[in-house]
Amino acid sequence: MRERQTQERPPEAARGAARPAAVELAGVTKRFEDFVAVDDLTLSIYEGEFFSLLGPSGCGKTTTLRMIAGFEDPTEGELRVAGRPMRGVPPYRRPVNTVFQSYALFPHLDVFENIAFGLRRAKVPKDEIRRRVSEACALVQLTGFERRKPARLSGGQQQRVALARALVNRPKVLLLDEPLGALDLKLRKEMQIELKNLQHELGITFVYVTHDQEEALTMSDRIAVMKDGKVQQLDTPANLYELPANRFVAGFIGQTNTFSGEVESVRGERVTLRTAGGLELEAFAPAGREVVKGSEAHVAVRPEKVRFGEAGDNAFAGEVRDVVYLGSSTQYVVELKGGERLVVYRQNAREAADSGAGDEVWVAWDAANCLVLGE
Amino acid sequence: MAAQKGVDKGRGWSLGLAGLLAPAAFWLGVFFLVPLLLILAYSFGTSGVYGGITLGFNPENYLKVFDPLYLQIIVRSTVIALLNTLICLAIGYPLAYFIAFRGGSWKTALILLVMIPFWTSLLVRAYAWVVILGGNGLANRTLQFLGITDGPITLIFTPQAVMMGLVYSYLPFMVLPLYASLEKFDARLKEAAQDLGASRWQTFWRVTFPLSLPGVIAGSILVFIPSAGEFVIPDLLGGSQTVMTGNLIQQQFLNARDWAFGSALAVMLAVLMLGAILIYVRRIGTDRLEGV
Ligand SMILES: Nc1ncnc2c1ncn2[C@@H]1O[C@H](COP(=O)(O)OP(=O)(O)O)[C@@H](O)[C@H]1O
Ligand SMILES: [Mg+2]
Repeated sequence: MRERQTQERPPEAARGAARPAAVELAGVTKRFEDFVAVDDLTLSIYEGEFFSLLGPSGCGKTTTLRMIAGFEDPTEGELRVAGRPMRGVPPYRRPVNTVFQSYALFPHLDVFENIAFGLRRAKVPKDEIRRRVSEACALVQLTGFERRKPARLSGGQQQRVALARALVNRPKVLLLDEPLGALDLKLRKEMQIELKNLQHELGITFVYVTHDQEEALTMSDRIAVMKDGKVQQLDTPANLYELPANRFVAGFIGQTNTFSGEVESVRGERVTLRTAGGLELEAFAPAGREVVKGSEAHVAVRPEKVRFGEAGDNAFAGEVRDVVYLGSSTQYVVELKGGERLVVYRQNAREAADSGAGDEVWVAWDAANCLVLGE
Repeated sequence: MAAQKGVDKGRGWSLGLAGLLAPAAFWLGVFFLVPLLLILAYSFGTSGVYGGITLGFNPENYLKVFDPLYLQIIVRSTVIALLNTLICLAIGYPLAYFIAFRGGSWKTALILLVMIPFWTSLLVRAYAWVVILGGNGLANRTLQFLGITDGPITLIFTPQAVMMGLVYSYLPFMVLPLYASLEKFDARLKEAAQDLGASRWQTFWRVTFPLSLPGVIAGSILVFIPSAGEFVIPDLLGGSQTVMTGNLIQQQFLNARDWAFGSALAVMLAVLMLGAILIYVRRIGTDRLEGV
C-alpha cells in the first residue's frame, strides 16, 4: 500500500518556486536500526523564510533538524544547504547554526566568551569580535551581562545568549529546536514576537521546530506539519487553518468538528455526504481533491464557522449540552438529533441571546466552510 | 520577635551539626592530629645514641635535610612523583574518556575492571611484579621465547621498574576521578561546539578538557601526594638503586633509629606537598573552575 499525502499547491508556494532555496531535502529518510524516524522527506526552504516544522512529540522534527545541522546523516536521500550537497560535511563546516532546546551554553565561559566562541573558531580579528559580540548583546538585550557565567542567568537570559551565540556568526540558516519550550507563557509570547522581528530584520532563514501549533501559526511564513516522520501538509498558516489537507492536520491545527459519511453526489466542488446518523451534509471539495460517489469521506467545520439559527446550507436542530465561557467567546457543545456532537464558538456580544444547557437550538453553517478532507 | 526566632533556629542547627560532626572530629583529633603534632615535636627533638628521643628545640634535624645527600633523594622522589602523575594522566585520560563516552552499556563493567587491583593488597601485587620482572621471571622468559633477547636481561631493580610499578599502582586513582567528571559531562556541549565551527580537536581543548579540570586536579593530587611518599614499590622493585623519600623516612625510623631526623624529613615532605598543591590549584584551578 502506497500512502501519499495530498499536496495542493498554494499560490504562495507557486510564487516562491522562483526564490532560491536555502535548504533542500530530496527523498530524505532517516532510520535508527529498524525504526523510521524520518520517512522520504522532500521539501525546499526558501532564503529569508521563517519555516516551521510542526508536529506532535516523536514525529521526527528534531531528527530532521539534526540532519540539516550535520549531527545525523540521512540514511537515504540528498540534503543541500545553500545549493551545496551536505553528505559527509561535518557540522563545523556547515553554514548553519543551531539554538539548542536546552540551550547547551558552555558553563565554564561567560556570556561574552559564549557568544564569541564561533567567531574565535573562525579566526575573526579581536577588534571585530569585540564589536560583533557587543552588537549581538545589544540585539538580544544582554548588554551589561557580558561577564556573567550562564549559571547566574535566568532562563530567558540564557535563551537570549543561545540565540546571540548562534546569530553572531551570521549563518545562512538558523536552526531552532523548540527554543522557547522551557520558558513560561508570558515570556514565551514576548520572545515569539521578538524572534519574529529579529528574523524579519536580519533576513536570515529560520528553521523552527515546535510542537505548539499556536506558536507555529503566529510566527511562520510556511509550516510543514509532520506525523510519523512524514509531512502531512506544507502550507502557509492561513491555508493550513482554512484548507487542512487531512483529518490529522484539521485536528492538530486549532479545534474542529469532523463528520464521516458516504458521498451521495458530486457536482464540481460541491459534495453531498450522508452520515451514519442520517445527517445530510453539503460540503466543499477544493480543486484537486478527489471525491468519488459512493465512497467514504470526512468533512470538517471549524467551531467559529457554525452559527445559531436556521439559515445556511447545513442546518440542524439540536440540544445544548454544555456551555463554557471563554472570555472573548463562548463555547457551546450541541448534540444533534443523530447523536453527533458539535462544538460551536460564538463571539460574546451584549445583544447575543444566551443559550443554556438543555435548550433546543438550531445550528447552521455554509457548504463553503465545510471542507472535504483528504486521507 | 522574628529575629529571636531566627537566632533560636540557628542555634538548634549548630547544636545538631556539632552532634553529627563529633565522631569525625574525635576520630581525626585522636588518630590524625595527635600523631601529626607528635611528629612535629619529635622533629625538633634530639635522638639518643640507642634510639629514644629528648624533646626540645633542636633545628639541626632540619639543617640535615638540606644535606646534598638527602636533598638529592627528596628532589629525585619529587621528580619521580611528578613523572608518575604525568604518565598516569596521559594514560588515564584517554582511558577514562573512552569508558565515559564510548563505554555504552559496558561502562560499569569497565570501571569495575579498573578497580579490580584494589581487591588485593599492594604488597601482594608488588611481589607479583618482582616475580614477573625477575631474572628468570615471566617477562624474561617471554622475551627469550619470542627470540627478542638471548639471555636474561636486567628488568628489576631499575628506575624504570620503579616507574612502571608506580604507574601500575596509581593509575586507578587517576582514572576514577577523571571518569567521574567526564561521566557527567553534557554531550550536547560537544555538539554545540561543533555547531559553532569547532573541529573535534578544538572541541576537546576548548570545552571537554576545561570542563574535566576538576577531575584532572583531583586525580593529580591523589596520584602525586602518595607516590611522593611511596616506599613499598621503590623498596621491592628498585632495590638499593632507586631510594625515595619514603624509604629514607622508613630507614630513619626502623634501621637508623633516628626518629628526630625521620620526623623532620616527614614534616618537610608534608610541607613540600602542601606547597605544591597550593601552587597547582592556584595556577589552573580557581578561575576556570568557577561556575562549573
Ligand atoms: N539516536 C536515536 N536512536 C534511536 N531512535 C531515535 C534516535 N533519535 C530519535 N529517535 C526516535 O526517532 C523518533 C523521532 O524523534 P525526534 O526527531 O526527536 O522527534 P521530535 O523532535 O519530533 O519529538 C522518536 O520516536 C525517537 O525515539
Ligand atoms: Mg524534539
